[in-house]
Amino acid sequence: MATDSSLTSELTPERSAKHPEEVSIIDASLRTPLVVLIGSALVWLLIASVLGVVSAWKLHTPAFLDACEFVTYGRVQPAQTNAFIFGWGFNAAFAVSLWLMARLSRGALPGSGVLLLGAVFWNLGVTLGIGGIILGFSTSLEWLEMPGFATPLLLVAYALIGSWSLVVFRAGRSHQIYASQWYLIAALFCFPWIYSVAQVMLVFSPVRGTVQSIIHAWFSSNLFLLWFASIGLAIIYYFLPKLLVKPVSNYYLASLSFWWLVIFGSWAGGARLLGGPVPAWVQTVGTAASFMLVVPLVILGMNHYGTLAGRWSVVKENLSLRFIAFGIVALSLVLVAWVVGAIHGVAQIIQFTHVTTAQIQLGLYGFFSMVVFGALYYIVPRMLDTAWANAPLTTVHFWASALGVVVLVGSLAIGGVEQGLRLADGSIAFAAVTKATLPYLFAATIGFVILAIGQLAFVLNFFWTLSRASAPAVRTMKGLLAAQPEAAR
Amino acid sequence: MNRAPLIFLGVFFAFAFSFVGLVLTNQITYGGLSTHVDEGEGKAFPMQPSGLAAQGKRVYQDLGCVTCHTQQVRRAGFGSDMGEKSRAWGERQSVARDYLREERVLLGSMRIGPDLRNLTTRKNPDWDDFSADWLYRYLYDPKLVMTDSRMPRYAFLFETRPIVGEPSPKALKLSGSHGPEAGHEIVPTDRAEALVGYLLSLKDTYAYPETNNVYTPPAPEAGEQKEAGQ
Repeated sequence: MATDSSLTSELTPERSAKHPEEVSIIDASLRTPLVVLIGSALVWLLIASVLGVVSAWKLHTPAFLDACEFVTYGRVQPAQTNAFIFGWGFNAAFAVSLWLMARLSRGALPGSGVLLLGAVFWNLGVTLGIGGIILGFSTSLEWLEMPGFATPLLLVAYALIGSWSLVVFRAGRSHQIYASQWYLIAALFCFPWIYSVAQVMLVFSPVRGTVQSIIHAWFSSNLFLLWFASIGLAIIYYFLPKLLVKPVSNYYLASLSFWWLVIFGSWAGGARLLGGPVPAWVQTVGTAASFMLVVPLVILGMNHYGTLAGRWSVVKENLSLRFIAFGIVALSLVLVAWVVGAIHGVAQIIQFTHVTTAQIQLGLYGFFSMVVFGALYYIVPRMLDTAWANAPLTTVHFWASALGVVVLVGSLAIGGVEQGLRLADGSIAFAAVTKATLPYLFAATIGFVILAIGQLAFVLNFFWTLSRASAPAVRTMKGLLAAQPEAAR
Repeated sequence: MNRAPLIFLGVFFAFAFSFVGLVLTNQITYGGLSTHVDEGEGKAFPMQPSGLAAQGKRVYQDLGCVTCHTQQVRRAGFGSDMGEKSRAWGERQSVARDYLREERVLLGSMRIGPDLRNLTTRKNPDWDDFSADWLYRYLYDPKLVMTDSRMPRYAFLFETRPIVGEPSPKALKLSGSHGPEAGHEIVPTDRAEALVGYLLSLKDTYAYPETNNVYTPPAPEAGEQKEAGQ
């Protein structure tokens, strides 16, 4: 990042900002909680990467580690997803959204004790939850597999962490509310609502029959569209104009797409249940709401690509922007896939195939994670007040992540369509369908391996940078400790 | 201008709208769906699962079977779950009432393996039918009974033990290199028995009033389907 950071700093408006000292006070107030949140996010990212390779490997080579109950596919795969979503995704989202909120509201964090407690609780909850899945306490509800003894802890932790975004927002001196903040506020409210409803109505006191499936679909589509996508969009709206030093084009439309996404996106879950044993109107409304996503798709495209237009040379040279631009393209593709996948004729083919996984990976890895990586490459050096420790590792991280996502999503999407077409033909034996997908599943494993290499580079680089940044502080601390006895004498 | 209250309220009402519309409305309209009492048979359908099947469902959940197997039969003409020239995964489509007795509804979202909703009503191409014996052998090592199966082995649900006295009637009938060493036998554990009990309980064959008038696509569309399939 050595070369890139100089470029970034030239482009960063804050160097000539109106309140430079304020910016450094804000960053300093966030240092400790952000290091804890990002550090734990990265540990989970590494765990999820390893579990990803293991579970992908098992899919084409079922004999791999099949003697051990704890790593059977039905446990490793949910453990991987939960580590990725709740371990990596949420910790990273907490860190980035807190930083964005503080910067945009121009408010420093008044104290970090409660926040740190929240971070500890959250990670404890995720550890318990994933341990529970591995040991056989899974609820078997996709994305909600963590057993009931772990999830209340997560809600408490969320309250402790999430409320600080509001504290910073209220304490801030800025009275203008920017697009990023709308999305952050939406995400902030969305998660506790959908998660507590899902926990109560599905796990603790389950409702009867397939109402459960509707609530489940409502939860998972909102978790993506209104939590992950909101956080990702908040990042994009903040960094795109900042790093390109130009306003967001067609910004006046941004509020329309925000409200459209919040109002109609929250209904889009029904499309996941097409053909299922739920009332037909739920499926139809789901399809209609999914089609409504065309509006935010177009407006977000105008905002993002319009801003990027003519500045692609800057994107090429700026590391953060490269990640974010990749995420922008992935987001467009995810939304297109969502709309197309809600068409009956398409849904009956791609439903229940690897295309579903491809969409999830494109959304969570290609869009959300890439955008967060971009944000972290900007935030971490400012927070630690030092440049990234190693430039080649950042290059490895970008190319491995980009290539990994393309290989993983591409192979699963193509393999999934093949699988769906064969499944739809009743004359092809099931085993033949599975056999046809094997080359694609093998390619997906390669994708996971590439991704794991990239994430390893990123994690190493972060902790290396962290150790370099904390080295002077540690020395001062040791000096003080050494000096103390003498002073006491 | 401070628009914060507007945003807070707007977001709140948007979520409330979808929560009331999708979650509460469905809970109110059919969350109280009742069983169908058949006067002729003197039974209420769906039937209460047996204790063994209920235990087996726990095993199904803790092993994460839902990661690869769905439990829903889509209507004829939507995919190839049922109807003519289909996979015949059920005699009829799954309806909401089928899941009434289930504490946790596991429709599933992936078909890495086949649908299991009506496992026992299906014709098994490699065996006479889906018997307990077949399922035990399949779980122990899928390749024993279906050479091109891609399911992992669930041998950890079985126990190899020395034969004391009479051999157990439950012991797997394995031959040659697959079998246990001399003087030993391979028997299913309680969990395997429960799981197999659960799998054998999976059948939605009862015709409810609502299953008798489901929409079936008109003939021309079915013709198009065939063309698309080829």
